[in-house]
Amino acid sequence: MNPDADDALRLIRDSAAAIAPRQGDLGRIRALRFTRPGFDRAVWQQMAELGWLGLLVEEARGGSGLGPAELGALAEELGAGLVPEPLPFAAAIAPLLADAAAVLAGERIVLPAWQEQANTLAPGAATRFAGGRVSGAKQLIPMADGADAFLVATADGLALVERDAPGVTLDLAMTQDGGHFGTLTLSDAPATPVPGRIEPALETITLALAATALGVMDRAFALTLDYLRTRRQFGRAIGSFQALQHRAADLKLQLELTRASVAAAAAAPTPAAVSRAKARAAEASLLLTRQAIQLHGGIGYTDEYDAGLFLRKAMVIANLHGSAALHRARFAALAPDMTE
Amino acid sequence: MDAAALDALDDEAFRLEVRRFVEAHYPPALRNPPKRLHWAENQVWYRLLAEHGWLAPGWPREFGGMGLSAAKQLIVIEEFERHGCARTNDHGVVMVGPLLIRYGSAAQKRFFLPKILSGEAIWCQGYSEPNAGSDLASLRTEAVIDGDDYVINGQKTWTTLATDANWIFLLVRTDKAAKKQEGISFLLVPMDSPGITVRPIINLELHDEFCEVFFDNVRVPRANLVGEENKGWTMAKALLGFERIFLGSPRQSAYALVRLKRLAERMGLAEDATFQDRYIRLRLDLEDHKALYETFAARLRRGEALGADVSMLKIHQSELFQRITEAMLDIAGENAGLLEPMEGNRALHPSGLFIQARPATIYGGSNEIQRNILAGNVLDLPAT
Repeated sequence: MNPDADDALRLIRDSAAAIAPRQGDLGRIRALRFTRPGFDRAVWQQMAELGWLGLLVEEARGGSGLGPAELGALAEELGAGLVPEPLPFAAAIAPLLADAAAVLAGERIVLPAWQEQANTLAPGAATRFAGGRVSGAKQLIPMADGADAFLVATADGLALVERDAPGVTLDLAMTQDGGHFGTLTLSDAPATPVPGRIEPALETITLALAATALGVMDRAFALTLDYLRTRRQFGRAIGSFQALQHRAADLKLQLELTRASVAAAAAAPTPAAVSRAKARAAEASLLLTRQAIQLHGGIGYTDEYDAGLFLRKAMVIANLHGSAALHRARFAALAPDMTE
Repeated sequence: MDAAALDALDDEAFRLEVRRFVEAHYPPALRNPPKRLHWAENQVWYRLLAEHGWLAPGWPREFGGMGLSAAKQLIVIEEFERHGCARTNDHGVVMVGPLLIRYGSAAQKRFFLPKILSGEAIWCQGYSEPNAGSDLASLRTEAVIDGDDYVINGQKTWTTLATDANWIFLLVRTDKAAKKQEGISFLLVPMDSPGITVRPIINLELHDEFCEVFFDNVRVPRANLVGEENKGWTMAKALLGFERIFLGSPRQSAYALVRLKRLAERMGLAEDATFQDRYIRLRLDLEDHKALYETFAARLRRGEALGADVSMLKIHQSELFQRITEAMLDIAGENAGLLEPMEGNRALHPSGLFIQARPATIYGGSNEIQRNILAGNVLDLPAT
């Protein structure tokens, strides 16, 4: 392993603690739930100052020229903090934007809009871009209400559409984690063309989502272990019961398989490796957060207690950019099977 | 190339050197044996390894070993596994040698180490007893001092390849009053001692790999005690080194998955959607297992010791191996009940591999014990 690369990852993780400390309380996250836009532009500004929006942008253009591994490490920490700001989405498309200064400075938020149906990784092609105008509809855009503009994937290339341009409508549907999906309807909306393809950015985001899920389940598990060590029933800590110990051991195994899978994909992010990591992370994050509720008992079922926040985040992340089943099928199609 | 030169190679060059050695010397007839081989069958490989100086990769060079780093020893085993090399009667090399090098007297080292390297001393391990399996420290075979001898009475079981061995290394109780871990000692005993009886046990593979070994007033000189009396448990635990990673090697599961694929093709199920879904899940489990295994191997390469978390590898590997063989039974139709391979083809033997997978979750510390270890030593959960 390259020591410089290890250092870069450590620095990123340390810097994430400024916004999402592992031990921090989740008061800010609770306060933002089910509000509009559901995240905090002041925090976004802080993220920009930490250089996160330019993480993947080359240094000559004002970024830090890092890669998917660093974005993954950051996404993992943000996941552990249940951070609602849609940082990985904006950071993944920043390298595509020609005039990115305001984006990197955190003054302007641009989010990708590419989906036309649920459970796919293929940009929808029914949206058209001709004569400087875009028509069509994009859906399932996380935290769309906070965007100033959208990078829209069309059959005729990428188009940058301002949120307040004529012919642009945005409808929101709340999600379990307290955020929302936006549906963007475009009727002859004015747009500027953007060169390049969105697919590589979608791979990067998918990997970041697997890392986010890893962070979510990691902290949910830590919370659960803490409870098993301290909650007493029948005169002893419930974590001393072998049935619960063995379940905890199995959860730990899934957590570490996910960590290994995500790290392998971050080190060599081929589409097959990304799908492998996302399939594992999707299933394991739901397993660990479900079990967090069960192992907490009644208190776990209350909204006041934090365990539920992790389950609700996992419910959103698990199927975003493709379910576990979609990614298993994609892995099977992409990865050559071993031979003897 | 001598051991010092091999040790100086970088890992990739070393791997190629191991591969070259195995391909040049390994007897083709012994590749991928379906069952554990006896000494009569595998001694040719043991002697070839000895002759070329490859028998004891982990021993220091001053004692006739190769003095390789843990990382390079891992490469040796990986390459041997990759080629399908049979396991030898390796208790002397893997257990007794390191025990004596660390704790043995000068006389014990002088006497035993050359005999292990020459194949004159073939060892079996006397640890488990009928009432001391997972709870090994409750063992009751006792050794009592009588003049210059210990007198041993009791019974050992699951003694692998005891019929091949001329020596046994034993954990015995030497202090019945002490706390159970603190009254145990290590003794080295010739298998031809009067009073020893060996009875093979036929296992579910219908193979006589294990034995029971009975001790009836067996006398052994006090000079055959290793280290201090009553320190045997501590020494046995200290011997659990980086080798524990091999219980989590992906090899068995990787081999079984290929067999599953071949079986599915033979049964006309390769394109069946239900089978495909099950197969791809198993494949992803194997790929992620390899990634997890690699994180432990990387720790060894950095010179770090393995912690109790290596239990995760053992649990996942053995259970994955079993799940793959269970899928084989499910798709094999009536062939699932056959005693012999289908159509005389050793590559199509679902029932055989299924049976072979059963003990994987039992040996090397049952998976239930491994989960206890994870809970207590890794997750820091309170004692039961």
